[in-house]
Amino acid sequence: MRLAMAAALGLLVGGPALAAEHVVTMAGQQYTPSELSAQPGDTIRFVNDDDTDHAVFVPTVGFGIDLGKQEPGQETVLSLARSGVLEVECVFHPDMLLTVAVQ
Amino acid sequence: MRGMIGVALGVAATGLAASAIAGTEKVAYPENYQTEFVRYITIDRPDRKIVRWFYVNPEALARAALGEDLPDGTVLIMEDHKARLDAGEAPVVDAQGRFISTDEVTNVFVMEKQPGWGAEYPPEMRNGEWEYAWFLPDGARKADAQFDGCFACHMSRAGRDFTFTFAKYLIDTKR
Repeated sequence: MRLAMAAALGLLVGGPALAAEHVVTMAGQQYTPSELSAQPGDTIRFVNDDDTDHAVFVPTVGFGIDLGKQEPGQETVLSLARSGVLEVECVFHPDMLLTVAVQ
Repeated sequence: MRGMIGVALGVAATGLAASAIAGTEKVAYPENYQTEFVRYITIDRPDRKIVRWFYVNPEALARAALGEDLPDGTVLIMEDHKARLDAGEAPVVDAQGRFISTDEVTNVFVMEKQPGWGAEYPPEMRNGEWEYAWFLPDGARKADAQFDGCFACHMSRAGRDFTFTFAKYLIDTKR
């Protein structure tokens, strides 16, 4: 029994990392946090806890995506499929910046 | 007097409309852009299930310099493609997590910069010397196109010559 448990734990420890979800908020027209590290397969959930519209936008070559208008209270999800450094902007607010290192 | 004001307002309104039409009609459809322009970035748009291909004319790309406004004569194109969808109508992604474009183009948006082109716009609307146009895939102008949204949205990027993607591309590639 003890061996079986140890083997199971070993499988868990030695197995591939589970995908993580990172939460980024938008209050005050800023991404919080403004920098984060992630792994391929992770996701970022953007929560618009601000009182104005936002729009998650990535103009980095190889990662380009526009998630469209996000009203207060809405959430959007960005999937991080591969390694690299991407910069996340807001279409409406040029000073909103988030840097994501995926490795 | 009231009649004069009415006439004056009518002229002003007509003038604005004519001005707006004249603005977009300055921009010609860029013939052969798919073969002669440089495609520099692709943007997935999940909420519309499209992929946006961005092009720049090679002359502008050659002259563009990091930290400077883009040269007169710059032409930027945003070409919308329908994304390939699965049986559930969800966009199909490749191994890199990117949408896969179909060959079906739905719209061709053009922004072009020429000296003096912005002069007809009030300061709160003017995007430097940029003008916008909206074409259908066959090159015809979109008949009911409105451009207030273009000017308003691009205004947020006044600090990098009113472009969302190309100035960023120059920064990222350290041109």
